[in-house]
Amino acid sequence: MDKGFNAFKMAQEQFDKIAEQLELDQATRDLLRTPAREYHFLIPVKMDDGTIKIFKGFRMQHNDARGPCKGGIRFHPQETVDTVKALSMWMTWKCAVADIPLGGGKGGVICDPHNLSMREQEAICRGWVRQIYKNVGPQADVPAPDVMTNSQHMLWILDEYEILTGSHYPGFITGKPVGMGGSLGRTEATGYAAVFALREACKDLEIDISKSTASIQGFGNVGQYAIEMYMKYGGTVKAISCWDQKESKAYTFLRPNGIDLKELRGITDKFGTIDKKKAKELGYDIQEGHVWAEQDVDILIPAALENSITGEVAEKIKPQVKILLEGANGPTTPEADKILNQKKIMVIPDFLANSGGVVCSYFEQVQSNMNYFWTKDEVLGKLDDKMTEAFYSVLELSKKKKCSLRDAAYMIAISRVAEACRLRGWV
Amino acid sequence: MSNENRPIVDPSKVLQERLKELNCIYGISTLIQDPSIGLDETLDKSMQLIQNAYQYPDITCVRIRSGDKIFTTPNFRETEWVQSSPIAFRKKAIGAIEVFYMEEREALEEGPFMHEERRLLNAVADLLSTYIERQDITLKLNGFETKDKATDKNDWEIILELLIKTDPRGALRITRRMIYYLYRIQNEEITSLLANVCPINSKEMEWCGINIPNPKEDAKELQRVQSKVFEIAKKAIPTEEISDLFQTWLKSDKGRPLLIASQKQGISLGDMTSEINRYWDIPEDARALMPEDERAISAGLIRRFFTARLKYLNVAKDYITLDDFVDLTKRVIGPLQGEGKLGGKSSGLYLAHKIVEVEKKRVKELQHIKTPKSWYLTSDTMMHLIRYNDLDDLINIKYLDPTEITQEQAFLEQLFKNSVFPPDIVSGLRSILNDVGDKPIIVRSSSLLEDSFEAAFSGKYKSLFLVNSGPMEDRLNHLMNAIAEIYACVFAPSPLEYRRERGLLEFSEEMSILIQEVVGTRVGPYFLPIYAGVSLSNNEFRWSPRIRREDGMIRIVAGLGTRAVDRVGDDYPVLMAPFRPEIRVNRLIDEAIQYSQRFIDLINIEKGTLETVDCADLLKKYWDEYPQVHQIVSMHKEGMLQPARNVLVDMEGAEMVVTFDKIIEKTDLIPQIKALLTVLKNILHTPVDIEFAHDGQNLYLLQCRPQHQGAEVGRIPVPKNIPSARKLFTGNKYITTSHIENIEYIVYVDPGEYADLKERNHMLDVARAVSMLNKLLPRRRFVLMGPGRWGSRGDIKLGVPIQYSDINNTSLLIEIARQRGGYQPDLSFGTHFFQDLVEADIHYLPLYPDEPGNLLNEDFIAYAPNKLAEVVPKYQYLENVVKVIRISDIEDGGTLTVIMDGEANLALAYTVPADHWIWRVRKAEEIAESMDAELYGVKAIYIIGSSKDATARAASDLDLVIHVSDSPEKTESLMRWLKNWDAKLAAENQERTGVDTETILDIHLVTDQDIKAKTSWATHIDNPYNPARQIRLKGKIAAE
Repeated sequence: MDKGFNAFKMAQEQFDKIAEQLELDQATRDLLRTPAREYHFLIPVKMDDGTIKIFKGFRMQHNDARGPCKGGIRFHPQETVDTVKALSMWMTWKCAVADIPLGGGKGGVICDPHNLSMREQEAICRGWVRQIYKNVGPQADVPAPDVMTNSQHMLWILDEYEILTGSHYPGFITGKPVGMGGSLGRTEATGYAAVFALREACKDLEIDISKSTASIQGFGNVGQYAIEMYMKYGGTVKAISCWDQKESKAYTFLRPNGIDLKELRGITDKFGTIDKKKAKELGYDIQEGHVWAEQDVDILIPAALENSITGEVAEKIKPQVKILLEGANGPTTPEADKILNQKKIMVIPDFLANSGGVVCSYFEQVQSNMNYFWTKDEVLGKLDDKMTEAFYSVLELSKKKKCSLRDAAYMIAISRVAEACRLRGWV
Repeated sequence: MSNENRPIVDPSKVLQERLKELNCIYGISTLIQDPSIGLDETLDKSMQLIQNAYQYPDITCVRIRSGDKIFTTPNFRETEWVQSSPIAFRKKAIGAIEVFYMEEREALEEGPFMHEERRLLNAVADLLSTYIERQDITLKLNGFETKDKATDKNDWEIILELLIKTDPRGALRITRRMIYYLYRIQNEEITSLLANVCPINSKEMEWCGINIPNPKEDAKELQRVQSKVFEIAKKAIPTEEISDLFQTWLKSDKGRPLLIASQKQGISLGDMTSEINRYWDIPEDARALMPEDERAISAGLIRRFFTARLKYLNVAKDYITLDDFVDLTKRVIGPLQGEGKLGGKSSGLYLAHKIVEVEKKRVKELQHIKTPKSWYLTSDTMMHLIRYNDLDDLINIKYLDPTEITQEQAFLEQLFKNSVFPPDIVSGLRSILNDVGDKPIIVRSSSLLEDSFEAAFSGKYKSLFLVNSGPMEDRLNHLMNAIAEIYACVFAPSPLEYRRERGLLEFSEEMSILIQEVVGTRVGPYFLPIYAGVSLSNNEFRWSPRIRREDGMIRIVAGLGTRAVDRVGDDYPVLMAPFRPEIRVNRLIDEAIQYSQRFIDLINIEKGTLETVDCADLLKKYWDEYPQVHQIVSMHKEGMLQPARNVLVDMEGAEMVVTFDKIIEKTDLIPQIKALLTVLKNILHTPVDIEFAHDGQNLYLLQCRPQHQGAEVGRIPVPKNIPSARKLFTGNKYITTSHIENIEYIVYVDPGEYADLKERNHMLDVARAVSMLNKLLPRRRFVLMGPGRWGSRGDIKLGVPIQYSDINNTSLLIEIARQRGGYQPDLSFGTHFFQDLVEADIHYLPLYPDEPGNLLNEDFIAYAPNKLAEVVPKYQYLENVVKVIRISDIEDGGTLTVIMDGEANLALAYTVPADHWIWRVRKAEEIAESMDAELYGVKAIYIIGSSKDATARAASDLDLVIHVSDSPEKTESLMRWLKNWDAKLAAENQERTGVDTETILDIHLVTDQDIKAKTSWATHIDNPYNPARQIRLKGKIAAE
């Protein structure tokens, strides 16, 4: 085993810490610190040049005590088993914190799609299902797109599964296009859901969201929809930091009396880059990328990069800031976390804040299983309910245990899974 | 035969005369053989033929008297200038042919008549005499036979006899042809006959033709052989066949002037063109060329118009035929007296076009490939313009100091633009514009250097688009303006610098111009090709190990190809391998979107401008007008890229992404490009670099040249004699061709140490350190080496998780695949940001140090001082993971060179020692070269000191002893001039070594007196132990 960094070891350590706080018994710890089932199999594929190549496929099912496993299928040339194990564990907690009846799984194929034709990729997808279809399914384990896979891959996988089982099971896969069993509202889900949680946090801190101000890092999918919902609630976004593709650096676009989302979207290309010249003409002040975090606002929303809030950045955060909403994955370093804590800033942790995506996947699965599809409003309404509920559970626990929302979220997730295992009589 | 007194006249003119005579004889012999024509008519028509055969047909009249019959030409008038020859009937004179000149002409051999004309007239008189005799008998026999009963001769024999009398050389040519013919039908007699010409039959002749000359036989012998040949022929070949052969040979003689003109060195455009046209004006049934003549003519014409390069000629002569030149010369414009050629670009394209034309019969994919209508300005047109405007002094610009050239360039361009085009060129350009109508055109440079030295001048010279609409005079002015601008380019700093570097400065660069119709179609107010691009036989940017070098490459964009040909940096053409289209560069949807075309170049017809507009906006707006748009773009919706034809895809809600997916999948483009690459590569025997465009109907070939000459770097083989201590690494897997010099730093992320990092944050810190180094180290002067996959996301153990912007200043990105526990990681080949690398010209190299034949000099890395803490103190704690090595610490003042040879699949990185003294000597030479010695009173320049002794270091002076005149004013201005040089050299030295010295030059002046008195610095000049090194001054050979 490598001496260096190991994602699975890290996930286990994280779990151990929470298990200690929850005073879980040894059997529960043993059960939850490793995936319950690991499948490793070979996928022979006939390549375009007529040769046969053997690919390695796998699926980790960490825990299904609360419901069918849920998690992506990734294509990666050098995926380590440990990374996938860690990811399957995180899926279990993510579903649990959002309180949806699903467990955690993750899988993939060791390959680099850059070296494969589309036909070869299709053969890999179909080969993957043929090897494991007995152990997955809408009631057992539900895959979704992940690194280097997209809805096309999912449809191939679904089609092969339905051929093998001889029936239609749209609920076997999530991340499908609308009309092929996909759910409406998926695009907006993550951004909106983060703001649903933010809205409740404001209530708790007695901040009038309609009078609040925010600064956001990132103008991608999550960022844009978060802003949309936040502005719907009357909030004012004073600054947006956005990556400039052309210059390979970020800029902050500021307007003290608030940005106009529609206006900015109009001058943003499909790569998420805001046109600086046009923005200037519209009265935006353009400054360096890091400036966004140094604003006198109530709310900071990092919705772009991992590790963007470092200790250094955290030090510069203004006293006015009360809430930091983690729209991106892992935007806050542990060092920054400590500083934010000292500054008494409420951090809505990533795996709660951006769980809108997984909740929407769950809704897609539910609709697919019913073969009855909701309107967008219905989806978003249900999403709001789920998020609000999830947020309050975490908030209450954090108050009760006097811990951070991050710790509380983990505790709630792990205890929910542990409880399900106990009720099933496993431990 | 010879006539020494005669003035030397133009040989082609002489030929013209001979041709006229031949026509006459041929015409008369045809007449007298036609039984349907009576005696009177024959004589009447003969007069005309005779009249035309004389030197001045306009003032020539003819009278034929035969017995009591008299025939005259309509213009007949008796004068004092007459030449006549008797007509005999059974050896008795019964009349005469008389030729009169109606005006006086200069005196020649016989009055105003030529020697040859006398011979002709006699021959014709003989011919007619024979004819009249025969006619008499025929009439008597009341019948006609091919054989002349009276003389028992065949018609061909009569012709031969006539030829021997009038044109003995022509007769010999026919004899030689008959010999070949007999050879070909394997006649044995002919073989033995010829074997006996000049037989080697005695002891003393043994050495003939080896070390002593063969003996010369007298002319009689040749005549004997000649008559013998025809005796043999008469026996071996049927009469009718000989007659036919004679007819063909006589016809083919009409091509002789063309043959001779085509072989003539330096024949002018006007003469050559009129010769071609003259030949073509001969009625088709009256001309024929022997295959060998035809080949010789086309080869000659290829040399004349295109190039004399054998490699080209050998291929071209099989594809470019005589007929082609008839059409081509109509499209060539230039000074009529000039000898200019069409240049490299035109030659390459024309040959490729002909190859496609010929091969399309065999290769069906080539069927619909076209070449745009083209016109050519010969290379000497530029000089013609320069002389016409008295700009001759421009030629010396190339010797000026580059900074002076830069300063003058704008002025010079205006000088060209305001010069007056010579009237012949203007009328030529006018005819081009009449021909092209108001379609947009592109004016491109076609350099002779590019052709002669196969140097890649790509991008150094210009191509200019012209909208070409409006009144004729405006269009003409715009065209002349564009041509002038291209001419001015020849004197621009960048091409001159390029020539200087390659030692091509002394080649007299002449610029031809290629004018092409722009391939395209009208879309809204715009004119543009629906797509265009470049394609290469060899793929030097392999993005996957599954792509072989020979799978080729295509860069393709919607609109004008400018965005595909040049790397624009912030925009991306679609990249693909035509022989491996299914392995795409940007396989993931995010990549396909990120690396897709954003802007489109096009011509705005209404505004008359070349514009760059937003690609998606344009395609959306003109969706219904833009041909094949649904195959060019895909729609990004629901996490998928979908075909744009899908009616279910809502245009408003979907993002449009230029992918060319369906063009690649469904159209003929890929088969067409494959066919082009294959056919051209096989026939030209070299990998090719082509440009293409599609107008919605057809694919057009716009350019074709050898690939090594193209935009990509030429191949340099890996040197063999580098001592191993100087080698940093070698590689032999997936090597692409390029070479990088003057590398100053290596940033090395140790694979083992990186893998052992315990915290994720430390790995992220490695990425941050690299990012900072990228900003702080000199741009493009460092190499990045690191484990596995640069730019890993997620599982960052696999490679340093940088983004493109963190490495965008490196010159080479290396991925090291170190075996760990018996398994070797896959490398990324830069796929995460491959296209960024390509567009920024950052090279990529994979290294497999654990495989045989690969080497990674770990001592080199381990023992070199690590500069990390110095450059980025913040990350000092990573010192054992990230090494920053300055090459000059290892090799004093040296740099690193990386040679990658894709052909041999070998790469080598090695240190190169500093060459401070060579650089100094070269600079001294440059100073001398650019110095106006007279102006500054400089008599000689010498180098002394460390630069001379080859011991100069990075900060050393360059000591020059300058022998000057006694004029203090001149010396003062010399010192001023040198001061400028000094500043420039100091800056250049700092640039190359990093050493900042205020001055480099150390000037020591000596005068005649100093030398005489052998004082101070003058002693260095001829110090017997260590004499100074003299530098050649421009225009002076050593010291007086």
